[in-house]
Amino acid sequence: MARTGRSAGPLGWRLLDAVEAALSALWPFRSRQAVARAFLLPALLLVGLLVIGLGYMVEYSLHELNLATYRLADDYSLANYRYLIERPTYARILWRTFLAAVIVSAVTVTLAFPYAYVLVRTPSAAMRKFLLIALFLPFFIGQVVRAYGWLIILGREGVINRGLGVIGLPPADLIFNYPAVIFGLIQYMLPFAILLIVPAIAAIGEDVERASEGLGAGWVATFRHVVIPMARPGLIGASVVVFTLTMTDFAMPEILGGGTTDFIASAIYDAFFQLSNPGLGAALSIVLVTLGSAIVAGVFYVAGTGTLGVRGGGR
Amino acid sequence: MTGPRSKAIVLWGIVWAVVITLSLPTVIVIGASFTAGEIIAFPPEGLSLRWYGELWQLDHFRDALMRTLYVSVICTALSIPVGTLAAIALVRTRFRFHNAIQVYLLLPFTIPLVVSGLSLMIFFGEIRILGQLWPVGVGLCVINLPFMIWSVSASVNALDPELENAAQNCGAPPVQTFLTVTLPAVTPGVITGALLMFILAFNEFLVSLFLTDSRTVTLPVQIYNSIRSVITPDLAAVSVVYIVIALVAIWVLDRLVGLEIFLRSK
Repeated sequence: MARTGRSAGPLGWRLLDAVEAALSALWPFRSRQAVARAFLLPALLLVGLLVIGLGYMVEYSLHELNLATYRLADDYSLANYRYLIERPTYARILWRTFLAAVIVSAVTVTLAFPYAYVLVRTPSAAMRKFLLIALFLPFFIGQVVRAYGWLIILGREGVINRGLGVIGLPPADLIFNYPAVIFGLIQYMLPFAILLIVPAIAAIGEDVERASEGLGAGWVATFRHVVIPMARPGLIGASVVVFTLTMTDFAMPEILGGGTTDFIASAIYDAFFQLSNPGLGAALSIVLVTLGSAIVAGVFYVAGTGTLGVRGGGR
Repeated sequence: MTGPRSKAIVLWGIVWAVVITLSLPTVIVIGASFTAGEIIAFPPEGLSLRWYGELWQLDHFRDALMRTLYVSVICTALSIPVGTLAAIALVRTRFRFHNAIQVYLLLPFTIPLVVSGLSLMIFFGEIRILGQLWPVGVGLCVINLPFMIWSVSASVNALDPELENAAQNCGAPPVQTFLTVTLPAVTPGVITGALLMFILAFNEFLVSLFLTDSRTVTLPVQIYNSIRSVITPDLAAVSVVYIVIALVAIWVLDRLVGLEIFLRSK
C-alpha cells in the first residue's frame, strides 16, 4: 500500500515499475472506459450467478409437476400460476404478508425517526456512542439469535409468564401468533430504519430548526413543517427497505409464528420442500419478485428514490 | 405542551423504549447462558459456566462454528477486491448503460433472500457443486455484495478526483496512482464494507439454509434447527458466541473508522 510503497526504497520502485510495464503491455487500452469495464467485470460475473439462478427459476415456474413421476413436465404451461390464483390460501397468505409489511414499516419508521433525531442532535458524545452501540449490537447479532432471545422472554415457560405466575396470574399466550411476529419484525427492522434515516437528519442544519423556533413555532410544529418534510428522503428509503424486508422475511414468522402465521417466504419454502413441487415454488417466487418490485417502483415513482439512489456516476 | 420539556420527554421516552426493545433479547440470552439448571429459567437457578463447558463437548456446534468462520472468510475475501473495484468504476467513470449496470449490481439487494437462496440452490445443483462448503461462501458474497459496493462508494464519493489528476500530472503512472492515491483514500470504506460482509455472512441464515445440508450445516442454521426442538441453555451459550463476536466487530469498527461514520449526511 501507500506507505510501504514509498518507504520500500529502490526494490519497491523497481517492483512497481515492472508492474506498470507488465500492465501496459498486457492492457493496451488507455481509455477510462476500458478500465472501468475491467473493474466492473468480476462483480458482473458474481451477480451473474444469481441472474442465471433466477433464469432457472423462471424456467421451473413454467412447468407443471407431473404427479405420476414427481418430476416437472417437459412442456411449457402456466398451470402453476393458474393454481396460485385459484387457491384462496395463497391470496390469504399474500394479504397477511402485505398487511404485516405495512404495519411493520409504519411503526418502525415512527419509532426510528426520534431515535435517529436524538442520535444526530444529542450534544453528549458519550450518549451518542451508547446509542450507536445499542443500535449496532442487535444489528450484528442476526435474526435467529434475536428470535431465540424473544422465545426465552415470551415463550410459554418464558420470563414474562414466570413473572405472571409469581403474582398469581394465569400464563398468557404471547407467542406463536401474528402480533408476536409483528413485534419481532419491528425489533429486527429498527436498526435498518435508523441507519437509513440518520443521513437525512444529519443533512438538516440545526439553524433551520432554530429559525423555525425563533419565529415562534413550537417543537411539534417545527417537526411537522420543517424536520419531517426535510427528512423525507430518509423516511422514504427506510420505509421501502423495511417494507420489502418484511414482505420477504422467513425466520421471524417461522420462529415466533410457530407455523401458525405463514408468510409468502414460508409458502415458497413449503412448496419446494414439503410439497416437493419446485414448479409451484418457483411460480410463487416470481410472483413475489414481481409484486415487490412493482410496489417499490410505485413508491419511487410517486415519492422519489429517497436516500436509496446511488449517487455519483462520472462527475 | 410545545415547550422544550415536552420535546425532551417525548423524544427520550421513545428512544429509551427503543433501546430496551433492541437490547432485551441480548441481555436475556446472556443471563440465560449462565444458568446452572437444566432448563432456561429467569432468574437463573444459580450461576455457573457449565453450559459453556458443555459447548466444547458438543461436536456439532463446534464444527458448525468452524464451518461458519470458513464460509465468512471466503465471502469477505472475495468481496473486498470485487466490491472495491466495482464501486470505484461505478462512481468514477461515466460509461454506457451506467444506470442499467447499477440496477443490475443492486439486484442481490432487491431480489428477496428466499428467492436468491433458492435460485442459487438450483443453479449450484445444476452444476453439481451443491453440498460443498465453498459455494456457500460464494453465494453469501453474491447476496451481500451491494453492502460492500455501498460502503466503498461512500468513500470514493468523498475523494476529490483532482487528487488523482494531480498525481498523474506529476508523472505517476496509473498503477502507482491507484495504489498511492485512490486505494488509501477508499480504505475506510473498504474496512467498513469488509466488516459488514463478514458479520452478514456470519449471521446469514436463510440462504445458508438452502445451500447447506446436514454435513455442511453452518451455525445460524444449526441454531435454527435446535430452536425448533427443545430449548436448552447450551443454545444460549452458543448465542453468546454471536454476541461476543458482534461486540468485537463493533469495537474494531469504532477503532478503525469510528461508528460516527454512519452519522454523516449524504
